[in-house]
Amino acid sequence: MTGSRRDLIEKILYHVEKPGRYVGGEHNQIVKDWGSVDTKWCLIFPDIYDIGQTNLGLAMLYQILNAEKNILAERSFAPWVDMEEELRKHRIPLFSLESKKPLSGFDILGFTLPYESIYTNVLNILDLAEIPMFTSERTAEDPLVIAGGQACFNPEPVSDFFDAFVIGEGEEVILDISRVYGSWRQAKLPRLDLHLALAKLEGVYVPSFYSVSYHPEGLISEIKTNQPGVPQKITKRIVPVLPPHPTKFLVPNVEIVHDRMSVEIMRGCTRGCRFCHAGMVNRPVRQRDASVIIPTIQEAVNATGYEEVGLLSLSSSDHTEILDLTRQVYDCFHEQKLAFSLPSLRIESFSLDLMDELKELKPGGGFTLAPEAATERMRAVINKPLDDHDFYQTVTKIFEKGWRSLKLYYMIGLPTETMEDVDAILQAGIKVQQIGRKLIGKSVKIHLGIASLIPKPHTPSQWLPVHNPDSIQEKLDYLKAGTRKAGIKMSYNIPDSTLLESWLSRGDRRLNQVVFNAWQRGAKFDAWGERDNLHIWRNAFAEAEIDPDFYAYRERDLEETLPWDHINIGVSKNFLKRDYQWSQQGRTRADCRESCFMCGILDAFGEDRPADGFGYWGCP
Amino acid sequence: MNDTPVRYRMKYSKTGNLRFIGHLDTQVMFERALRRANFPLRYTQGFNKRIRLNLASALPLGFISSAEMLDFWLNLELDVEDIRQKLQNALPAEIRILELRQADNSLPSLQASLVSSEYRITLPALESPKEFKAELDKLLTQTEIPVTRRDKTINYRPLILEHELQSNPHDCFVVKLTLSSAPGANARPDDILELLGIDPADCVIERVRLNFSED
Repeated sequence: MTGSRRDLIEKILYHVEKPGRYVGGEHNQIVKDWGSVDTKWCLIFPDIYDIGQTNLGLAMLYQILNAEKNILAERSFAPWVDMEEELRKHRIPLFSLESKKPLSGFDILGFTLPYESIYTNVLNILDLAEIPMFTSERTAEDPLVIAGGQACFNPEPVSDFFDAFVIGEGEEVILDISRVYGSWRQAKLPRLDLHLALAKLEGVYVPSFYSVSYHPEGLISEIKTNQPGVPQKITKRIVPVLPPHPTKFLVPNVEIVHDRMSVEIMRGCTRGCRFCHAGMVNRPVRQRDASVIIPTIQEAVNATGYEEVGLLSLSSSDHTEILDLTRQVYDCFHEQKLAFSLPSLRIESFSLDLMDELKELKPGGGFTLAPEAATERMRAVINKPLDDHDFYQTVTKIFEKGWRSLKLYYMIGLPTETMEDVDAILQAGIKVQQIGRKLIGKSVKIHLGIASLIPKPHTPSQWLPVHNPDSIQEKLDYLKAGTRKAGIKMSYNIPDSTLLESWLSRGDRRLNQVVFNAWQRGAKFDAWGERDNLHIWRNAFAEAEIDPDFYAYRERDLEETLPWDHINIGVSKNFLKRDYQWSQQGRTRADCRESCFMCGILDAFGEDRPADGFGYWGCP
Repeated sequence: MNDTPVRYRMKYSKTGNLRFIGHLDTQVMFERALRRANFPLRYTQGFNKRIRLNLASALPLGFISSAEMLDFWLNLELDVEDIRQKLQNALPAEIRILELRQADNSLPSLQASLVSSEYRITLPALESPKEFKAELDKLLTQTEIPVTRRDKTINYRPLILEHELQSNPHDCFVVKLTLSSAPGANARPDDILELLGIDPADCVIERVRLNFSED
């Protein structure tokens, strides 16, 4: 049977686009004998291989699990629509890349949920794998289905589909989960006992042990546990010191998005931009020293042959050794022609010296800055202060150093925003263009990237309403007309495409039904934006008799119980409230490396803080 | 420093999962393997410097091969056996190096001197082997065999240089075809199978030999 299934898989691969997505076989792939291990994981990134394979979290967990003698971890991704059609036509359950075994044969399925618009793909994968979609329908024979990733800080809209969620960082807890799973299976106990043991692990949330009740008008009245011995609040998991970085990255055999290796130089951010989810949920700031990063890159280059490395962090220029680091990267790797990129550079901390280093490392190409707002008042509201003088000086230096194209990111739909604030974005673009033309000439290219604010859970923006699409459209139209006249390129998200994210990111458990309805009505690959899925979602809401506007356009009361209140990210709700109020007053908060604002992270994790010299934390 | 590049010519097989990896991706795979092997690589000139290497011929997606050829250049002359070992270790297991030797820089490129390719096609169990044989004979008696690919129709008949039908111990037919691979006159065996009403996905198609003009 296995033989013929494999033959069938090989046959259908002739009929799909880019079959290399489904076959594995990459350099550094790890294939273990199924008889030699106790626990078999399948790590799943629920988008296509091209998007998911270079995900750094996936690479980390793959290495950590496979380093254990008694554990194996394989990979699977969402099949593209042509492959799905073939799988369904031939009744082939979705399989892993390494062994081509069906997902139902694994012990644990670990999904990565980096964003909300990936949820319907999870349901589609479970369906293609012939695994019951709802946790309540799964038996001891079915795999344990869990998830982790940045969207899991509010897992409520998909709580019915997962046995458990990892809240926070996975590097340590993933082995705890393996251990708990192993003992449970040896003891041959019911599935409930597995859930109970998991719920006792720090950073693991088992949603079925929590009950949510609602007021008649729809607000949450209470979230409480329904199981003794389960914590009232689930505190996220962190690794106090960033562990050794993976280096044996799998090298894809087919061209994929961001086809380079990534090395995480720093985790978390001390800046406190009020719209930024990553900046709030990934505290405290921890970094890897240059003395660790350089050998890591060397090892990874030797192991992969990659020609480009991205040094990842939320704010690269805040790394305490960034200048020295970029210099060392150049010294060590320029002969090997290793290209490197340094995303997320702050404007004001951005020294001339660093720019000199960068120019040498990556000549040509474009430069990107993210002022996010163009008036001083608006920058105070979002807490991304920036002096106009500094900004234009930086822009001038960029052109003087020879960059010929500059991309600027701005946000609209911010609280208290007026047309004056929007016009300031256009004027900034025009002024930057003038500076560029003076220094570079007519060929200078300016590109404005416009995003509209989607308030995220666990941020000071979590109480804010989303601006209505008409007002967003009006602002976009204004900017479009202005940029066209000025010869500036502009890209933006159409208001509709961000609606789904605004419904789901602050959703509650009632949305499980909506997600299910949407999947049943054919929604998938929602993140791709090309497929017009919004009408499906509107119908899915209507079918569940739920008003989507309740989630998007409503200003939340500060006293309201929020759907994610039982998830503790270490940053306290009181701090977020205070910061929200400061925002309304136009009051900025300095970088918290300068002074502590008692966000709560040290109360939650201070005890784990390593002694000086054993791992850097950004907290004062 | 002597700046003359040293040319190496390699014959390799490509099997298993890697038959689903296309031509350009295969080229990138070799570039990365050469980097992993840490050789003194020769780069092309120009703004976007690339490792200097040259594949003889694109192997269509889905085909396996025991006869692919590749040239690459290093800045230094190294021991051939040493290169072979290091490069083999840096390559995915489904690429095997079959031969490796130093080649003279004056030789023409592999692409330019490629004349024809030999394929060994294992057909699926056929309901009526006789009928297939008759179909094949009938096809080959025609003087015009028009095949359209990417909106361009070419006559395949003069491109089919040799053919041979064998039956193997499992009663599966094996067809051996020698097809022209010259620039602008390249024939694909899967096109011929389709003309005979056979789904190429049901066959194992292996390229077993590349013939070059200087051979």
